[in-house]
Amino acid sequence: MIALSALALLLAAVRPTPAAKPTAAAKPAPAATVGCVECHLALDDSRLTPPAKAFADDIHARNGFTCVFCHGGDPAALDQDVAHDRRKGFRGRIPPTEVPEVCGKCHADAALMKQFNPSLRVDQLAEYRSSGHGHALAKGDTSVAQCASCHGAHGILPVKDSRSPVSPAKIALTCNRCHGDRALMESHKLPWDVYAKYSKSVHFKAREKGDLSAPSCNSCHGNHGAVPPEVGSVANVCGTCHAVFAEQFKLSPHWEAFKEMGLPGCVTCHENHEIVEPTEEFLSNGPSGKCGACHEVGSPGAVAAAQMRNDLVRLATETRQARALVRRAAEAGMEVSRANFDLGRADDALVRARADVHLFRASAVREAAASGLTIAQSARKAGQKALEERDYRRRGLFVSLGLIGLAVVALLFKIRDVDRERSGRA
Amino acid sequence: MSAETVLSSAAPEPSPPPAGALDWLRDRLGWDDLAHLAAKKEVPIHRHTIFYYLGGMALFLFSVQVATGILLLLYYRPSASEAFESVQYIMAEVPFGWLIRSIHSWGANLFVGVVALHMISVFFLKAYRAPRELTWITGALLLFLTVGFGFSGYLLPWNELSFFATRVGTDVPAQIPVIGPLLSRILRGGSDVTGATLSRFYGIHVAILPSIATLLIGVHLLLVQKQGMSVPISQKGRNERGALRFFPDFLMRDMVGWLVAVGLLAALSAFIPWELGKKADPFSAAPAGIRPEWYFLWMFQALKYFPASILGIPGETVGVFLFGILAAVVLLLPLLDRGAAREKPSVWWNLLAIFTIVAALALTVLALLPAKGAPK
Amino acid sequence: MSILDTGIREDLARRRWITWLLGTALGATIVSFLYPVLRYLVPPVSSEPSQSEVELDIKASAIAPNTARIVPFAGKAVLLLRTSAGELRALTATCTHLACTVQYRPDRTDIWCACHNGVYDLNGGNVSGPPPRPLTKLEVNVRGDRIVVRRA
Repeated sequence: MIALSALALLLAAVRPTPAAKPTAAAKPAPAATVGCVECHLALDDSRLTPPAKAFADDIHARNGFTCVFCHGGDPAALDQDVAHDRRKGFRGRIPPTEVPEVCGKCHADAALMKQFNPSLRVDQLAEYRSSGHGHALAKGDTSVAQCASCHGAHGILPVKDSRSPVSPAKIALTCNRCHGDRALMESHKLPWDVYAKYSKSVHFKAREKGDLSAPSCNSCHGNHGAVPPEVGSVANVCGTCHAVFAEQFKLSPHWEAFKEMGLPGCVTCHENHEIVEPTEEFLSNGPSGKCGACHEVGSPGAVAAAQMRNDLVRLATETRQARALVRRAAEAGMEVSRANFDLGRADDALVRARADVHLFRASAVREAAASGLTIAQSARKAGQKALEERDYRRRGLFVSLGLIGLAVVALLFKIRDVDRERSGRA
Repeated sequence: MSAETVLSSAAPEPSPPPAGALDWLRDRLGWDDLAHLAAKKEVPIHRHTIFYYLGGMALFLFSVQVATGILLLLYYRPSASEAFESVQYIMAEVPFGWLIRSIHSWGANLFVGVVALHMISVFFLKAYRAPRELTWITGALLLFLTVGFGFSGYLLPWNELSFFATRVGTDVPAQIPVIGPLLSRILRGGSDVTGATLSRFYGIHVAILPSIATLLIGVHLLLVQKQGMSVPISQKGRNERGALRFFPDFLMRDMVGWLVAVGLLAALSAFIPWELGKKADPFSAAPAGIRPEWYFLWMFQALKYFPASILGIPGETVGVFLFGILAAVVLLLPLLDRGAAREKPSVWWNLLAIFTIVAALALTVLALLPAKGAPK
Repeated sequence: MSILDTGIREDLARRRWITWLLGTALGATIVSFLYPVLRYLVPPVSSEPSQSEVELDIKASAIAPNTARIVPFAGKAVLLLRTSAGELRALTATCTHLACTVQYRPDRTDIWCACHNGVYDLNGGNVSGPPPRPLTKLEVNVRGDRIVVRRA
């Protein structure tokens, strides 16, 4: 019975290239793999055995898909010539240029994929064809990534499996396998230090701390349609998380100006991979200053930048000083919850003011910073009040100590007096 | 004989009608007898008289603890979900709550120190010789109670440090063979330190220990009144300086000490208020460097030096057993020290005591040093 | 008067003065002990620790439906909101992602964190964006026009 159905499948599979796809109603039979895997394992060859070993873990194997679904041939046959019969659709190693089509024959078939995991997407092949890798591969460049480069060929694990090379935690390292290869990247005129730069970024550091919402390569470049975002779309891409900043940037004069100049939006000041923690120094004339590249010293833009910087620095300093004061009071045991609340509001104001920098209008930042200053000052006052309370306690203590001292002195006098009386009488 | 003298010699005259409320009380309370006894109470003067102050200081500090403790009771809530917040409330919102609480916490440490000094001085002055053996025994029991007060009270704020220190501390009795795990379970109110432990420690700290302590202190003081102050062997016969009346001479000197102690406690409360730290989270990992209070550090450190097992018995069990032996020796000292009983100097006991004290101090210092490799 | 008499009178005077000094000093010291104790016995205005329960300064009638306010609770920010249906709710206002302060969006009746576009529903559940955990709900009780917020 099993042999018959396997035969039926094989008959359906007989076609030179590509290996035929099963009909929508077909259910693959697990026993059909026995031939391929058994033989290849027994070969104990460094090139031919590992795929057979790895396939045991493969998600396709678990769902009943076998070697023949990609490689064709006769799975039941134990004789190599019969098993590898080209008339039965056998192909050995699939050339890289044809891999996407082989995977796509199932993964681009919505009706088929629905039978196994309805929530999986089926547009990966179409996306891939639109990607940088896809275009290069179509021109015959086999050094670019195709499905097997990232997903593996035989031990393919689901993306959610943390061992998979394309799982969220590992995807950047997988991309780096090629994009960190200097020779390969130079031959394609691409930078090869992207991962090194990314690892200095705040996003990388956030991921290390366990915040997987921070972007990795695929978050900004896409998974299968991997292409760098275009100049005009950088702000949109960053804006999926940094929504407020993107909105403000689009309202600012830089939006049109950057587009006209072909400057890549947010990346112009913040870099694309080495995105470090921004500071007020971005607005300065110093080494990390960004404005000086376009705005000459003394120009209205430079003046605005300096003003924004000063406002932000002032607010940050006020808040920091108020915080130090409140901490001193708290360490002395004082009640400082109102002051702490105010400090939280001051922090919020600083965040708002920093966001408003992206309107690139000094008056907006000044307004936001001014309201923050008021709050920081009230926090400082609350801290001072707490310290005054502490001083009041210490003054009270000195009064009590004084009284105790007085009582001790009086006692000593009395003791001396009584002693004299006793010795006088004795 | 006149009529008055006949009448006056016939029957004893009743006291004159009361001249005020005080006199009314005097007549009913037998005050005159008490005053008579009190006037006779004397303190011998010699080279070591200064050590006689320590007992009174301990009693005074105990009263301070009771008073501040009762005040704290008015606001403290003994449940895992409210204890920490209630102590925070006392420190931050109740007027002078910070003072009462800090005095109680600092006072506890001062109290333990003074009790230890009192015991050490009594030891070296051999005041435990006959007929004062019971005084020593009740005193040793009071020492154990004091330490019990410290241990049970430490948990009550339910903060991080105290929670983990209590966990470590209640692990130690579990090492006693046979009854150890049961004992630990009784102490903890369960298999681990939880809100049940807090309730139990609260009951121990505010009811059980105070009642036993009151009884023992009563007996202790009664014995001291009955037997008078002991004179050291070396000073016997050298009575040239005579004796000091207790009321009011010695008491006034006592009061100087007590006032200085109160001043010290107030100063400590104002300048180094007792910390509260973070609320205990039983599910979090113990922070690095968890230690019990200083008076337990010598035991804590000593236990670290015991190897994992000695002759098949777990090392910690041997350690706890040795502590038990030490406690028994301390308790029964007057019965063991035959030399003192015969009014002879007991050199070996003195050497043993000096060795124990020095060892305890050294262990305490070692325990306070930062751990190897740990940041200071 | 003999010299002895004056001597005795001086002694008596000095003794009286010393006794007076002692009495006054001890009395003043005792008062300085009693004053804090007596003040301690008078409970503060809020009888619950402010870490557990706080009566807000805002009147219940001051919060209209479909609006919200940031209020202090134990030193932290809390979002006090009234749903369109009129129910008062309190949620911790610190975003569970990177601790920015969240805000209420009346047009979408959701809670939003401007820092990285995180969105919570009106029960505090984290529905989209980076926030890994929901906001903590606090208990709200209204007594007349007074709002009391308590840890759940």
